[in-house]
Amino acid sequence: MNNRPVVPYSEESYPPLPTNKTLFWRRFVPWQLVRFLILNIKILRIVAGGHS
Amino acid sequence: MSTIVVLGAGISGNTAAAFLRKKLAKKHKVIVVAPNSYYHWIPSNIWVGVGRMTVDQVRFKLAPRYKKVGIEFHQALAVSIHPEGDSDHAKPFIKATYTLPEKQGEEFMLEYDFLVNATGPKLNFDATEGLGPGKNTVSVCSYDHAAHAWEKLQEAIEKMKNGQKQRFVIGTGHPMATCQGAAFEYILNVAYEIRKRKLTDMAELVWLTNEFELGDFGMGGAHIKRGGYITSTRVFAESFLRENNIHWIKRAGVKKVEPGLIHYENLEGENLSVPFDFAMLIPGFAGVGLKAFGKDNTDISSRLFAANGLMKVDADYTPKAYEDWSVNDWPETYRNVDFPNIFAPGIAFAPPHGISKPMTSKNGTLIYPTPPRTGMPSGVMGKITALNIIRLVNKGEHELKHRASMGRMGAACIISAGYGMTKGAAATMTVFPIVPDFEKYPDYGRSIGYTMGEAGLAGHWLKWFMHYMFMHKAKGYPFWWLLPE
Repeated sequence: MNNRPVVPYSEESYPPLPTNKTLFWRRFVPWQLVRFLILNIKILRIVAGGHS
Repeated sequence: MSTIVVLGAGISGNTAAAFLRKKLAKKHKVIVVAPNSYYHWIPSNIWVGVGRMTVDQVRFKLAPRYKKVGIEFHQALAVSIHPEGDSDHAKPFIKATYTLPEKQGEEFMLEYDFLVNATGPKLNFDATEGLGPGKNTVSVCSYDHAAHAWEKLQEAIEKMKNGQKQRFVIGTGHPMATCQGAAFEYILNVAYEIRKRKLTDMAELVWLTNEFELGDFGMGGAHIKRGGYITSTRVFAESFLRENNIHWIKRAGVKKVEPGLIHYENLEGENLSVPFDFAMLIPGFAGVGLKAFGKDNTDISSRLFAANGLMKVDADYTPKAYEDWSVNDWPETYRNVDFPNIFAPGIAFAPPHGISKPMTSKNGTLIYPTPPRTGMPSGVMGKITALNIIRLVNKGEHELKHRASMGRMGAACIISAGYGMTKGAAATMTVFPIVPDFEKYPDYGRSIGYTMGEAGLAGHWLKWFMHYMFMHKAKGYPFWWLLPE
């Protein structure tokens, strides 16, 4: 990702940016398959627990 | 025999009608009145707006779907509710006007035993001068708006290819607009399309929002576990924008849009403007303009509707300061108190107050997001409304068993930021509950276990999977009722 330089001390200079390692894990299919399953389970539990 | 009339065939109305028809005996009538001939899966509009899906992939015709299962369908716009009947009708009824081309403009009435008002919102473009398709900005709030946005985006892309720099301003188009999540998703997708075409240097992207801080999303923001810390969604949202080279302007209430120029007021009371070549701004929402009349034909709209035209339900509407807001103010059954055979699930119900803290500019302008109720919460509300009506029909009056307060309900917001099985990306956010409950969760108002945010390909798959799953469910395909809302 080519991020443009930002002005020091400007608000846009403070947020964290992902490292190359983080970007790799975001796209690494086996790991994302695991996350896909976990996200599905979490969302299902949220839906099931949200109404009676 | 009971007659249940459902106004609206969106996420909430369609869900309610489907469950009513499935679980009620055939002697009871389920009637849907909706002005559009199509069902429309709104969350996928974003992909229509960047040319990744066609309009026909996010919609289907309602009439054949309803005919197949025995739901009576009228393509018409509801105009008034007569909850006490009138001198000629002992039973309550609604009046509507056909939008079906063959019967265009013809008025008719339908008597009901139970009424589900699931009309959703009116997209109130008129509340901001110069806002909306046909004026100076585009929208992704409906499939035709999204298709138009894609046409305009392609024009901007062509200009960049020809060496003309373009400024894209995306966000909220009214000081109290909601649905920041949809606009946020759209700007990330636009950034992705620009990057994919290697035109990043020709584009400037600006996120323009009425949020006090980024990541508020009309829910007062949230706290999530991330990188070994419990951190605010502000950090999450800002990081995403920074990563995608998107600038931001926050605490901005858009007042007026001229060709190429957006005028806004900020919380400091300054009147500023931002030029644009392409702008997609979400309008404010209001009720659809339904009126209500008593037995003697007097206007009783104020008994059914709040000032913004949304329907009053079992919420606590007593005006309160932010510090006194409680999760218990939020409705649980979406039943009107004065007329207990009327329900209003989804965006049609009037929230008791915001979720985000109200902010006022130095000039007295309210600039803050109103609460979001789209998607998952709307589906859940539609379902529990149907289940409660089914029990009322079958067992008579009783305490309503099925409840779904936004203070006890969670929601997932999946913000895609690209497209493709290996190239896509998304930010997945879940919150539980939607309305913070500081009595139960004193630290952050929400469960840290169930409130989360993460970026990655998995979120994109989830969004893509949900598109097909919810279309399957909405179409009433086999085992649709097993799929969650």
